Amino acid sequence: MKTLLDKLAHPNVVRIAGIAIGAVFVIAGLAKIGNPEVFATQVHNFRLTPIVLENLVAMILPWVELVAGTALILGARSRAAAWICAALMIVFTIGIGQAAARGLDFECGCFGKADSSTVGIRKLLENTGLTIVALVATLGRR
Amino acid sequence: MTTTKPTSLTTDIALLLSIGVVLGLAYNALGLREGNGWGIAWKGVDRVEELKKAPMIGAVQSSASTFVSDDPLAVPAMAETALPEIPDYGRPVQINIEAVKQLYDASAVVLVDAREAWEYDEGHIPGSISLPYEEAITDPVRLEALDTGGRPIVTYCGGGSCEVSLSLAQELIYAGHPRIAVYMGGFPEWITAGYPVEAGEKR
Repeated sequence: MKTLLDKLAHPNVVRIAGIAIGAVFVIAGLAKIGNPEVFATQVHNFRLTPIVLENLVAMILPWVELVAGTALILGARSRAAAWICAALMIVFTIGIGQAAARGLDFECGCFGKADSSTVGIRKLLENTGLTIVALVATLGRR
Repeated sequence: MTTTKPTSLTTDIALLLSIGVVLGLAYNALGLREGNGWGIAWKGVDRVEELKKAPMIGAVQSSASTFVSDDPLAVPAMAETALPEIPDYGRPVQINIEAVKQLYDASAVVLVDAREAWEYDEGHIPGSISLPYEEAITDPVRLEALDTGGRPIVTYCGGGSCEVSLSLAQELIYAGHPRIAVYMGGFPEWITAGYPVEAGEKR
């Protein structure tokens, strides 16, 4: 009788998904926090953000990632944190998708300077996977 | 956990986002320290200030008057070497009107007009290429494809507080054109000096 969704909503599954996506976000956040100027350039590369907001995004986004990731790992307000992560993952995936579609070739900057992978199909699949994990993490009760 | 009163999801989301925003702003209160050329200088690098610290390329004083030679071929040879040199400085340098004019007269420079297309159409430095900053930033391929024929680039815009020439210069450097100077005096100063002007949509 159990649907796939019910199985995924099992507390343990949700918890594990939360810790996994939380860890990814904490790592991604920390990698970018120290070098906002580098990340600002990478934000610019996506050509999605209005120029005037690029610096602001570069300063704030890594911290939002860190906070949401930490909350997910700790299990504090994890459902809200999971929604933030899921929403961000969707935005990132769209960003990479549109960049790849436009033929732009640049480092995604997803994990700051530590990650030199360029935007492309592989990154797109990775992100789709992470988006699903993040969505699973939102199935929790709190 | 079951004892805690369930909080609203939206409240929690707002709370987490606020914490992130506050931490981010607090951490960056000192601004983007250096190296960033993007966006507004929000507590960050003032690109105009940075440019003012860069070398100013001035006109080369003609040494022809002091150069005495019976060989008539020596003079054109001197004239050729006596052009202002725009170096690969890693970021845009400044250039003054006299130096721009020397390079312009010798066709030794690619002039790029960073103003909007209609401003260019109304009047521009003859031979300059229209590359409106707002269009250029959405199309990096156009910047990379700019054919300079090995010549340095001088960007200009409307003078005064106009910064698009500087922003465009930065973009051009990122697009792989190393030798860039910004002519901050811009088109108004060029007109005032009585130098040639051209109108129309020739790009």
